[in-house]
Amino acid sequence: MALSTGARTNGSGGATVAQRLQKELMDIMMKPTPGITAFPNDENMTRWTATIDGPESTPYENLVFKLSMEFGATYPYAPPTVLFKTPIYHPNVDFSGRICLDILKDKWSAVYNIGTVLLSLQSLLGEPNNSSPLNGQAAELWDKDMDEFKRLVLARHKTPEELDADGL
Amino acid sequence: MDHATLVFASIFPVPSLSHTTPTPVATPNLGHSEPGTSFDSPYAADAGGTHRRTLRRNAAWSTATRFLSLPKDLAKGPSRIQRPPDVDEALDYLVVGEGAGRDGEEGIADWYANEARLHFANHVRQGLAEAWDEVIDVSNAWHVLEDTQRVLAQVQDLYLQPFYDHVLPFVERAAANITIRTSKSNDSLEAETVEAAKRKFRRDIHAVFAHSLPIARFSKTLSYMLYDAACKLFRLQVRLDGVAHAIPEHIDTQKVRRRMMLLLVGLNRVGLGQDEAQRALAYAMDKLLDTYISSHYLKVDWYSKQSVTAQLHVWIEDGFIPLAELVLECLQCKPAAIPPLQRKQWQEMALTRLGRARVVDLFDFVTNWDRSLGAVLDLKVSDAAQQPYNLIHLLQDYLRLDGAKEHLKGSFSQQVSRRLLHPGATTTYILNVYIYIIRTFNKLEPKGVMLQSVARPIRKYLKEREDTARIIISSLLIDLNDETSVKVASTGELSFDIACEMAKPFTQAEDADDEASWNDMNWQPPPYDASPEYKKSKVEDVIFFLLTLWDRDDFINELKNILGDHLLKCQDPEFRKEIRLLELIKIRLGEDKLQACEVMLRDVLESRRINQTIRKANDQPQDHPPQTPEVLGPRTPRPRRTDPTTPLVKLPPGPALNAQILSSFFWPILRDETFRVPAQIESLQQDYESRFERIKGMRKLCWMNALGDSRITLEFDDRAEDFDHLTPWQVSVVYAFQPQPGEEEEEEEEEEEEATGKGRGKAKSEGITRSAEQLEEMLDMDEALVQQALAFWVGKSVLREVVPRTYAVIERLDSSTKDSDAAAAAQEIAQVQAAQSTTVKSQTDLLNERKDVYMSFITGMLTNQGNMPVVRVLMMMRMMVQGGFPFGAEEVRALLGEMEEAEKVVPLGGDVWGIRK
Repeated sequence: MALSTGARTNGSGGATVAQRLQKELMDIMMKPTPGITAFPNDENMTRWTATIDGPESTPYENLVFKLSMEFGATYPYAPPTVLFKTPIYHPNVDFSGRICLDILKDKWSAVYNIGTVLLSLQSLLGEPNNSSPLNGQAAELWDKDMDEFKRLVLARHKTPEELDADGL
Repeated sequence: MDHATLVFASIFPVPSLSHTTPTPVATPNLGHSEPGTSFDSPYAADAGGTHRRTLRRNAAWSTATRFLSLPKDLAKGPSRIQRPPDVDEALDYLVVGEGAGRDGEEGIADWYANEARLHFANHVRQGLAEAWDEVIDVSNAWHVLEDTQRVLAQVQDLYLQPFYDHVLPFVERAAANITIRTSKSNDSLEAETVEAAKRKFRRDIHAVFAHSLPIARFSKTLSYMLYDAACKLFRLQVRLDGVAHAIPEHIDTQKVRRRMMLLLVGLNRVGLGQDEAQRALAYAMDKLLDTYISSHYLKVDWYSKQSVTAQLHVWIEDGFIPLAELVLECLQCKPAAIPPLQRKQWQEMALTRLGRARVVDLFDFVTNWDRSLGAVLDLKVSDAAQQPYNLIHLLQDYLRLDGAKEHLKGSFSQQVSRRLLHPGATTTYILNVYIYIIRTFNKLEPKGVMLQSVARPIRKYLKEREDTARIIISSLLIDLNDETSVKVASTGELSFDIACEMAKPFTQAEDADDEASWNDMNWQPPPYDASPEYKKSKVEDVIFFLLTLWDRDDFINELKNILGDHLLKCQDPEFRKEIRLLELIKIRLGEDKLQACEVMLRDVLESRRINQTIRKANDQPQDHPPQTPEVLGPRTPRPRRTDPTTPLVKLPPGPALNAQILSSFFWPILRDETFRVPAQIESLQQDYESRFERIKGMRKLCWMNALGDSRITLEFDDRAEDFDHLTPWQVSVVYAFQPQPGEEEEEEEEEEEEATGKGRGKAKSEGITRSAEQLEEMLDMDEALVQQALAFWVGKSVLREVVPRTYAVIERLDSSTKDSDAAAAAQEIAQVQAAQSTTVKSQTDLLNERKDVYMSFITGMLTNQGNMPVVRVLMMMRMMVQGGFPFGAEEVRALLGEMEEAEKVVPLGGDVWGIRK
């Protein structure tokens, strides 16, 4: 009567990744975190779309961001590829949506999961790591001119509806 | 002679119609000139001879016809007068001499035939027509036919006599002359001529007779007569228009036979035995065959359960065919004996009809299996060797005849769909009938090809019924030796037949796959009419058919649920039946899939051991009678206990607790209501828990209070009552009427109840009343459960509703009708409610419980993937939800509706939904 799911990770990689992701999905659904949702794009589970709300009392307050997540066959031993789909003005995100975050790179560990990744990203919005910026201007403005920073954030932001319209 | 001719003849006498004084002497025939010649004198030379001959002939004609003319009065009978010489001479002249008919002239034979016709028309026909004009009552048929025959025979004699006496001798003489002339002195030729003349005359007369009767009606009447005769001969009961005509006991069959033969011979003599009569015979025989098949001779043999086909065979051979032969002989048909091929055809025809007659009622036979074995055997004679004497080579199975199988399949399928597969039939009934069908068709055709095609719609239908699996599995668990469960089965909820099948010794299927077995010397190809998926089942085993109704996985899931429910309720500490069932199913479905069920079984068995161990450790302080095990899980326990109310005398044995320990991972989702159990029980539980943890190391127990089974004794002022098989919440509720420690009016909570509460000595006073709300609060119990428990106790006359929704203990039973009325009503409610509560969760419960998860699924889906139609939502749910999403579009819509009320989603029209912004 062992709860053996996920214990055996040798062999058939695809199946176990899907199993793991399904379990994660179930966990997310059982204990939803406010402001964060994620859902697979189709039945093969390796591509997901996530939505996070901008944290309160930051320039991103009341904004909604969409992200794409892609899981490789070695997940959870390798980090997922995460991109911002919504254009965002942020010191650690470049204009194509690529993210500079240590836990998505060399600090990745198999104990992380979708929920923790998204939570980290949400907090990254409020606390950018200005020491290694992808967007130098943004890093500079964050420290010097918050009003200008906010203006640029809003100028760059698009609501999901606008995104959908662009996509068409 | 039709009417028009008669009218014509009355004005312009035709020679053949009249035989009055000829005219030639008075008005000589002057002859006429040939076309193309000039007019001559009337006495032209060449006309002389002809004229003379004409004169003479006319004279002779007149003489002869006057003599031969028939009497007006029928009764006189044929005249047998000696011919006077002048007549003799005249006839001689007309037939033999030169007066013999030349071309265009009428011969005396023809005239006589006409005379006969005329006579018949004038004098006889009227009477006959009257007889036939009326509706012929069936009972009268014999008489009408006999009268007709008599009249015609008499008339025929009347006509034939003069012809034979006075005309034929001359014909003969004429023939003799010719033969002499042609120097072929051949007697046979002479006789032939006479014979021909005779035949012609006869034929003429018979034609007149035949035409004088309404042919269709004659034929019908005759066929009825034949049929009637046959029925009497074979002593068949004739049914006409649904009225049974009892056949008198003493029919002299010999007499009937003689009468029929006489009549037939007579009819044949007057020329009515030809085509029409044969057609009538054919019709009668056809009907006779049908009558025989539906007669008491071929009734289904309900008692000795034998086939009646042999009897039918004998009858055809020794009754039917001889009768046909007899009739044909009477009618003087040429081949009076029936040729062998024809006999065989008749045999087959009879068999076919018998078969069809059986097939029509096959459904009834199936439902009355196996008393109806005889009827089924009629369709198929299973063992030729049992048949009497030398018939074997002739006997055929109905099913081997052309088209018989198709007919049977088609007809039976129709009966099944009309009479079985409709909403009015309970699933149990359908299952029972299906079992009978399996048995019946196994008998009919051991190879099972027909069964397969007949059963397909039934199986499909059964799969659609929700309760099929439940009924099958529960039925498998019925104990045939236990009276109560048999009683349950007979009420129609469960199928008794399945239980019987289960009780049969199980024959192990030999290693099934014989396709690959090269050494199997008994291998046979599948039947030619088998469908591709045909697989011969070696064992005639009904259970096999039932277990293969579903996909294995579906079946096993259902099995898990039912088995779980059953194990928790089961009273047999050995679980013998359950083990047997599981083993049986393992053989059929493979061991690997049934792991969960095995674990469940092991759980309950092991719980017994653990209980004993723990109790032994416990026994020092307390002693209690051994209990049947109780449910407890490593996460799923349930208390089984006696709430003690033993008389206060000796130290009251404390409540006892047994647990069943279930491995929640393998069990179906169980009902889990939380509420407080009586404090005594709670402490017992804690005790048990700690001991269990000591035995089992790390494992934690989690009590499922709703699943328990309890026995208590209640003591009142005037009585004590035992209650068995109570649910824990019922106990908790009644226990709450126990005066709480330290409470006088007010109820505190049941903390340290231990000492005093020991089995609610008695509810001290009538004073304790509790309202439903109080109880809910006290026990942390669902309102529904409280209500149910209260209804139960009111039904048992333990509680009384003093004010609406407030209850008190009935300490003294007086005969107040009010209480008993209320009790009766409440009992009914309680029963209904109890029926609804099962230990395993229903679908609706499941949906409600996981509603939140599902809703967050939908939210996540719509947020991240955009707006979606319901169908797609459903599809995603089915793919994504772990453990499956066993619901349909309706449930999804309901969820969405609920979310819409919570202002989370909005309908966008066309069944598409989106997140509310």
